[in-house]
Amino acid sequence: MGNKGVRNLFVFGSFLCFVVLVILTVNTFSQLDSRAPKITEEVDLGKQLWHKYDCIGCHTIFGNGSYFAPDMTKITEKVPKSYLKKFLVNPRKVNPSAAMPVLGITDDEADKLIAFLEWTSKVDTNGWPPKPVLGSKASGGGTGNVAYEKNNCSSCHIIDGVGGTSGPDITHVALRHPDPQWHRKHLDNPASITPDSAMPPYAQLSDDEKNQLIDFLLTLK
Amino acid sequence: MKYKSHKIAMNFFTFAVLLFLVQVIIGLVAAVQFIKPDFFFFAFNISRTLHINALVVWLLCGLMGATYYVVPEESGRELWSIPLAQFQFWATVVTVLVVVVGYIIMGLFPQANITVFGTLLLNEGREYIEAPRWADIMIAVSAILFLINNAMTMFKSKKITGIMGTLLGGMLFLTLMYLPGMFYTSSMVKDQYWWWWVVHLWVEGAWEVIAGALLAFMLMKLTNAPRQMLEKWMYIEVALVLFTGMLGIGHHYYWIGTPNYWLWVGGIFSSLEPIPLLVMVWDALRVTKDTRSTTNKLGLFLATAHAIFNFLGAGLWGVIHTLPSVNKWTHGTQITTAHGHLAFYGAYVLLIIAMVYITVPEMRGVKEYRMSRGYRSFWWQTVSMIMIVFIITGAGMVQTYMERLLGLDYVTVKNNFNTWFWIWRAVFGVTYIIGVCMFVYDFFKIGKEPVTATLSESKA
Repeated sequence: MGNKGVRNLFVFGSFLCFVVLVILTVNTFSQLDSRAPKITEEVDLGKQLWHKYDCIGCHTIFGNGSYFAPDMTKITEKVPKSYLKKFLVNPRKVNPSAAMPVLGITDDEADKLIAFLEWTSKVDTNGWPPKPVLGSKASGGGTGNVAYEKNNCSSCHIIDGVGGTSGPDITHVALRHPDPQWHRKHLDNPASITPDSAMPPYAQLSDDEKNQLIDFLLTLK
Repeated sequence: MKYKSHKIAMNFFTFAVLLFLVQVIIGLVAAVQFIKPDFFFFAFNISRTLHINALVVWLLCGLMGATYYVVPEESGRELWSIPLAQFQFWATVVTVLVVVVGYIIMGLFPQANITVFGTLLLNEGREYIEAPRWADIMIAVSAILFLINNAMTMFKSKKITGIMGTLLGGMLFLTLMYLPGMFYTSSMVKDQYWWWWVVHLWVEGAWEVIAGALLAFMLMKLTNAPRQMLEKWMYIEVALVLFTGMLGIGHHYYWIGTPNYWLWVGGIFSSLEPIPLLVMVWDALRVTKDTRSTTNKLGLFLATAHAIFNFLGAGLWGVIHTLPSVNKWTHGTQITTAHGHLAFYGAYVLLIIAMVYITVPEMRGVKEYRMSRGYRSFWWQTVSMIMIVFIITGAGMVQTYMERLLGLDYVTVKNNFNTWFWIWRAVFGVTYIIGVCMFVYDFFKIGKEPVTATLSESKA
């Protein structure tokens, strides 16, 4: 094939590929709305705030972004919304070692951001992020304590290096708080003991479950 | 200077080279922030934005400088309008500087990013294309003026070579593909869909087409290979780039809320994307071996290195995690960062550096120049970049295993298990900057120092 032939192949072939891309785009857009919840005004305002505070400059969403801070796609499924709100407004107050700076987000803005993040958590992402295949022990805390794992305490707390960083490390919590009554009160209403606590109350747990959890926490020395 | 128009090329190269230095210094700041987030006077998001925006802008300026060199050279005449090109250059510089000031203001006062006329004033908050809408418009105007000037030069000359046509075609495609990033949509899924049109169709489409054209130009300047043959292979390469890359965009549509047929489309086409890059390597090595005729050994060395690292970074480091079955676990981890670093280094940083060493001596009117510093700079940069890429790949593997497979918390893995990766990355960031400093210094010295044979030159 001569140069002219190869050039034409390049020009028309590329154009054809572009046409296919456009056709797939039209088809994709015809399906997108059915793969995600309806976008309310609050969700839209939340998305605008996501851009305003350049959240993508540190976080990822749908796995795209900056890899400096956790992915936000399913964050509302991982941590309680009450915690998220307090954290957004003043991350350093909730967790003094948090890398996130205080951006000046108001309560109202935090609500909108959470509405937006709740929307992204419900988008059909073809199964991403995948469930950890090797992680039933580690992601549940690996403690062997049923109540601790059932209530997903490890999504916020660390024991021996395993767990989340949203709440304090509790590897030695029994040394700081040896009194079972302290733990009972704390579980029922964390803010009654630590006024700025972002931890949600666990008063709804049964007495058995609470006792099991407290017994376990008192072993952490 | 053979053409007065080449002054414009020099202006663009100078601005590009200075921004390159800014890019790597701020990159080191970002690397240190991984270890100590509060170490600098603004947060990580601003340093990362500056690091990446400086990269995109300096590469664009480098590509524009290269085009302003190639078009007069290929058409055998001055640019259609030198004053217009001068205006375009200064308008670009002023816009970029104002945008940078805006980012820094936002870093100091996050609330300053207010909405004006329905768009954000300082930062659009969209990765890679953070520049606010007013700056988008200025950048688009700059690109259009650039296109008009070069296209008119081409038409006036009545001699449209394959290289020139492909170069301008790539630039036109690049300008058009900036437009899908210039509107707001309330759905994050649709937002990311269009955003990938800009990002993917730039770096894995338009920019690779431009790289293909410039590779052919460099080989033509440095070897005796006939134009006919070089242009034929250039067409084959850029055709394969777009045949695979256009639908290869599907690998960005696996997990963002788009239908699952993209797993097939993206998986198949993006697996083929390394092929044109491999053809470029073969082309460069074959032509260099068969028809070498230049005294500019460094230029030829860099052009070939660009082809090789383009394949390794954009091709190999991309294809290892492009299949959906792998990408499901690695998506959004540091493995993507590793791929990004090596791909940009090989495909575009080395391309512009090669173009500088091939064109600047000619623009300064010298046949030979001192090459030793250029070689040293290359090795400092390349070894450092390889180390950085291995280190971040390691961090990504640990992250994939601990976070994705075991289910540990993101911050736990980042702070407790990957710390040493961040420290070593910063160390090699310093050595990379040393290499860039050598290059920047050399840029201003090319052709101005006496030519002396050095050990590294005679070895090379």
